Amino acid sequence: MSAHVVVIGAGSTGAATAHDLALRGFRVTVVERGEVASGTSGRNHCLLHSGGRYAMKDPESARECIVENMILRRLMPEALECNDGLFVALDERDLSFKEQFLAACAECGIPAREIPVGQALALEPHLNPGILAAVQVPDGVFEPFRFCLSFLATAKRNGAVVLTYTEVVDMVFQGRTVSGVRVRDRRTGEERVIGADIVVNAAGPWAGRIAAMAGVDVPVVPTAGVMISVGRRWNRMVINRLNLPGDGDIIVPQRRTAIIGTTSWRVEDPDFIPIPEDHVRLLLESAERFIPGYTRGGIRGVFAVARPLVGRRGVAADGRELSRTFECFDHAVDGVEGFVTITGGKMTTARAMAEKTVDVVCAKLGLEIPCRTHEVPLLSYRAFYD
Amino acid sequence: MRERSRWRGALGWADLRGRQEGGLAFLLMRLTGIGLAVYLFLHLYVLRLLAQGPEAWDAFIATAKSPLFLALDGVLFLGLLYHALNGVRVTLLGLGIAVPHQARLFWGVMALTLLTTGIALYALFVLVG
Amino acid sequence: MPTWSLRLLRGRPGSPPRLETYRVALPAEAYLIDAVEKIWAEQDRSLLFRHACHHASCGACGVRVNGRERLMCITPLKEFDPERPVVVEPLGHFPWLGDLLVDVTPMMRRMSAVGFAIVRRDELTADRPLPEGVEQAVRFEDCIECGLCLSACPVMAADEAYLGPAALAAVERMLAEPRGGEVLRWIALADDPHGAWRCHSAMECTAVCPSNVDPASAIGRLRRRLIAEKVRRWIGGGR
Repeated sequence: MSAHVVVIGAGSTGAATAHDLALRGFRVTVVERGEVASGTSGRNHCLLHSGGRYAMKDPESARECIVENMILRRLMPEALECNDGLFVALDERDLSFKEQFLAACAECGIPAREIPVGQALALEPHLNPGILAAVQVPDGVFEPFRFCLSFLATAKRNGAVVLTYTEVVDMVFQGRTVSGVRVRDRRTGEERVIGADIVVNAAGPWAGRIAAMAGVDVPVVPTAGVMISVGRRWNRMVINRLNLPGDGDIIVPQRRTAIIGTTSWRVEDPDFIPIPEDHVRLLLESAERFIPGYTRGGIRGVFAVARPLVGRRGVAADGRELSRTFECFDHAVDGVEGFVTITGGKMTTARAMAEKTVDVVCAKLGLEIPCRTHEVPLLSYRAFYD
Repeated sequence: MRERSRWRGALGWADLRGRQEGGLAFLLMRLTGIGLAVYLFLHLYVLRLLAQGPEAWDAFIATAKSPLFLALDGVLFLGLLYHALNGVRVTLLGLGIAVPHQARLFWGVMALTLLTTGIALYALFVLVG
Repeated sequence: MPTWSLRLLRGRPGSPPRLETYRVALPAEAYLIDAVEKIWAEQDRSLLFRHACHHASCGACGVRVNGRERLMCITPLKEFDPERPVVVEPLGHFPWLGDLLVDVTPMMRRMSAVGFAIVRRDELTADRPLPEGVEQAVRFEDCIECGLCLSACPVMAADEAYLGPAALAAVERMLAEPRGGEVLRWIALADDPHGAWRCHSAMECTAVCPSNVDPASAIGRLRRRLIAEKVRRWIGGGR
């Protein structure tokens, strides 16, 4: 009988981890307290990163992004809008970053190419005609809910069990080893224990709370961001500001709408994040600088969510300084066996996060099973409901 | 989709909360349709009097000229006209024609129905009666 | 900051649901989903509701707001008077799982039966040159599979076998852009007593659609296509 792994959380990380585990032959149970992708993953910016956004300041994360971007295009080709992205310089200061940006992209393996301003305006006629430079990168757009459902659908097809509206209320121990989770079915209120050889904590910004149940500490820094959805699409490609990542520097088109993002501040409780009104104003003003009149289509929705960034010593409070890369913690080093936490990262790198996590799970169990998730196409998200 | 649903069968037609002109038009279409079907049987039932000779028929005609009966004729006319006119509207819409104007068409059907019924009642009560 | 009053349908299958009143303080710029999420976070952790993207893309948060089908994430609170309770109920014509939660499996199975891709050729920006290296401009299909149209459709109330507005609109999309797909199968799916012919033009699907799908028009176009197909077969002696 193969080992049983319980994955906590059905966001992008948990979904991809469940898929990887199932593909490597593990018995898998995913427990999720709400709907699939009802936390950070759902309220995503929907950007399939080329890595360009992080090339200058966070090359490790940028490299992960471009590699995974190319893999996801093969895994879920029909769930992505792959129209590329533009980094545009709005002022002289932006322009001064251009050479550094192109060099950093080359360094990270991101196929970035400067295109004449006239050509950029032909591609995107609504763009501010005063832009000083434009660089094309292979950005894309995804559908976060369906992204997670595709991974889970494939995992289910390979035998995984997905329990939504099932909340972990405690860890179950045998000595210093986690041997399962106590869960509450939120529909019936009933509690029960699900036994596990390994428990994987993929709870995103809530990973710290889950880890605390196991008596260990995970340095997750829930860092919120505000995004605005507008009711009209003016750009075909993703539009980024050619600069270091900052507030209100990106417009991701999706369907007939677009999402303006984003801001960054640290929050204590990721369960409910009040939206600061000044952030909304700032985002709207920024979007107008890229594409004058952007918000004429009207605001459709405003939303905020916490990113599960991995904390390190001596970092700034706003979270922009934290790396977007991910980290997998085997809590054996904290003296707790059978418990692994995966956190940080981006939705774009979810598959790689899963690969790393399942490698750790395999190592803990003394198994050597190669990962195949980079080559196995995913089922349609609709298969989740089969 | 029956399993454990809040499925109420044909009663669901009558839940007009949140519905707009289209939903109201649909409900009225169903109600007038049912009404006309019932009327058809009443009509056939009455027609059987013809087989019982002129006396029976004349007696019925005398009742049919009473104001109450004429008022019921008005209701029948109202339902019939609505069903016929909205039938034209639904035929167009069902073929994807004039969809953006469906609400205005509904009010047009209503206006025409009421106006024509008014004229018919005037003719019945004032001119004939 | 105004305090809003919400009456949420609560309960679990097996006993009759009831409306319970909650009061929640939020700025007028907030949305209904924020209010419901805040009630869950701060007042009642047993509340069941679906949500994911909070920007009308995932289609998870459909409910009936004062009777009308809406996505909670794009329903601004400022539409309502804080003095008058907003009644929030689960979608109709779906199996009810408790509180505001319904089982969308019947709809997803219908969509699976159609099997349409979620990405389409982009017609919004088709007049522009393509970026180098991009073979064709694409965008997501309009339909977000939220189920609002199924809940609003009165025909769904009495015919549980009806394919429904979303799936019929999907068939129409597939026939419009077949990409070498199974045209005859789609036609057979729609040309059925519980398919395109079951629609009675109540137009409520189009009235509640939050994503520009306009299923009522799509069904009309679909019927014209079916009729043309029938005429062609009749003249051609069938095939």
